[in-house]
Amino acid sequence: MMNTRPLVAVVAAGAAVALAACGTPSSGGTSSDGGKFTVVWDMWASGESDVEALEAQLAIAREENPDIDIQLKHAPWDDYFTKLTTNLASGDVACVTSMNGQRLSGYHEAFLPLTEEELATAGIDPDDFAAGSFDIMSHDGTLYGIPYDVAAMLVYYNKDMFAETGTPEPEVGWTFDDFDAAAEGTTTDEHHGFGMSIGEFQWMSLPIARSGKQPVDESGALALDDPEFADAAEWYVDIADKGFGSVPPSAAETGWGEQEYQAGNVAMAIDGTWNAATYLGNEAGFDAGMVDLPSQDGEHLGLVLGSGYGISADCADKEAALKVLGSLVGEDAQNLIASSGRSYPARTSSQPLYFGSLDEGVRDEVEATFEAAFTGVQGQRSTDDWAQINEAMSPQIISVYTGDTTIGDVLGQTQQQFGE
Amino acid sequence: MTSISVAEAAPRRRGRGELGKAESRQALGFITPALAGLTVFTVVPVVLSVAMSLFDWPAWGDREFIGFGNYVDLFTSHPDFWPALRNSAVFTLLFVPLNLVVSLGLALLLGPRIRGRAAFRVLFFIPVVTPMVANVLVWRMLLQPNGLFNGVTTAAFDLTLPSFLNHPQWAMVMVVIMSVWQGMGYNMLIFCAAIEQLPESVLEAARIDGARGAQMFFRVTLPLLSPAVFFTTVMTMISSMQVFAQPQLLTGGGPGNATLPMVMFIYEQAFTFQQMGLAAAAAWVLFAVIIGLTALQFRAQRRWVHYEV
Repeated sequence: MMNTRPLVAVVAAGAAVALAACGTPSSGGTSSDGGKFTVVWDMWASGESDVEALEAQLAIAREENPDIDIQLKHAPWDDYFTKLTTNLASGDVACVTSMNGQRLSGYHEAFLPLTEEELATAGIDPDDFAAGSFDIMSHDGTLYGIPYDVAAMLVYYNKDMFAETGTPEPEVGWTFDDFDAAAEGTTTDEHHGFGMSIGEFQWMSLPIARSGKQPVDESGALALDDPEFADAAEWYVDIADKGFGSVPPSAAETGWGEQEYQAGNVAMAIDGTWNAATYLGNEAGFDAGMVDLPSQDGEHLGLVLGSGYGISADCADKEAALKVLGSLVGEDAQNLIASSGRSYPARTSSQPLYFGSLDEGVRDEVEATFEAAFTGVQGQRSTDDWAQINEAMSPQIISVYTGDTTIGDVLGQTQQQFGE
Repeated sequence: MTSISVAEAAPRRRGRGELGKAESRQALGFITPALAGLTVFTVVPVVLSVAMSLFDWPAWGDREFIGFGNYVDLFTSHPDFWPALRNSAVFTLLFVPLNLVVSLGLALLLGPRIRGRAAFRVLFFIPVVTPMVANVLVWRMLLQPNGLFNGVTTAAFDLTLPSFLNHPQWAMVMVVIMSVWQGMGYNMLIFCAAIEQLPESVLEAARIDGARGAQMFFRVTLPLLSPAVFFTTVMTMISSMQVFAQPQLLTGGGPGNATLPMVMFIYEQAFTFQQMGLAAAAAWVLFAVIIGLTALQFRAQRRWVHYEV
């Protein structure tokens, strides 16, 4: 008989090594390296210019913290959250982890709650930041991160198409009737008036503004099947049914409306303030305009969105990480992102620099639009599985556009699946 | 007699035993590196995934043992599981025969009498070595309503094609067609090699006996090729049950869940919905299906695969 005991021993030893490796999470990249602590900063970046901008911020943080070795890791936006989930599963989360406000609800357990004590260590005074901006990085009244930008959704439009069709350009304070007329007026045989979307707030913003209802109610419960919200969603889908909206050609095209707008193929699309500078300098070469969301019965509900940085709950050297966080949302770093026009900073004193980065010809219009868009905004409410809800809904909305189901059914089914 | 032979045999057996033990130890030394690799990268993950499938296992946070709860959930209440299984089955049923017919057809067409056959083979093999993302991007540009196909038919015949990737049935058809185009070169190469190995004496004998055309192909060539057909069928079936990149990139699984196959379902459960336990359970279901189908094919091969000439 073959003696199998050594074989078993080897397998067991291998298993023990592997399990031990699983069981000892590395401390998020914090280790002592010749007396210098290493703090890893994890952030999304979708291209070379993004990475360059992050490296400029990194240089500021390094300069302000000479005793800390700060490392930057990045992944494209779409992959960032998959990577973060994997890192969480293996217990290897970067000490300074970037988080998008809309997704915080699903990840808040991974972050260190920030109290006054932590803010003091980081050297952060909440009064320096835009009113309501700390709500972006809060969940259930607890602060989990510091916002670096604030954002609101806007209607971007192609001025050339409005001029070509003789349609009056939208103005701040416009109504949904004006929107309907604009979508119809700018639709020709060559192009649609509006780019439909299936991505989260790119499609949801108009129904929210029209109904004045968020799809999550005040108690934090999912309310997709709220009759007013559902009616407004019906109106949104009708834009495509009436032939004024360009429909995504597949469920893989999650950013369809915005892409089509940027390529100069549709007259209007919904997107966040974070893309304002990109659209103003679009490569298709059209004259870009922007305006706040239309209002219904004199009111419009806009949401304040944004992203920030938090400290991972199992970070080994929280003090060093907090100092890095303080630098990343500090005045110099905020001034940098504002003056490059990359995003609208959360720090109030840096905000004017954003407009200064724009061409003089559009500066006043953008400033007026931003002012209107950030007036009367509400914090976005979300459930723990908000990101999943959106992932599940996107391919279903495609079927609505093609007439295979109705938006009412999709909202109802999603509500049933996720709303407990 | 008996006692003597036992007495003689005993020391001999002991001697072989010691030698055998020494050999075993040496052998163990040699296989340890490979065995350690196998253990760490295969055995442990496999065992872990079985355990995972029995737990409510979020990406992080508290795990709870729920027995066969994940499996019950999949089969009785999950809205996307059965459609995903159905989609994988539909894809496999369409893709495997189409792929085999096309690749065998190409291999036969590119027979020894064709000039420049090596160049053609390279041409047909290019999609196999091109990254899938690039392949899909090209097909997306062809199939979109503002893409090439619709542009040509609209301009030439005033005919508007359906929005292929948004249509509940066309989307799957297009995923299959794109996959056949992408994957045909691989099986074609296998068939080409098999065709070149066909025993000339048998073919000649058949020709002398008067076999021609279809009769020659179905009665002589195809049976001779049956080991290659069997191999490609099994491998293509396995890879098509594991299809992921084409629907993920081409249709995003939509419209609705019309092109969501099993592996994409598993991926979504694990990395989008962060339900590792449910994903592991679904992966084991897929594994069982693939093993079952492969075993069936191996049993059936006795009836139609001819290894002896």
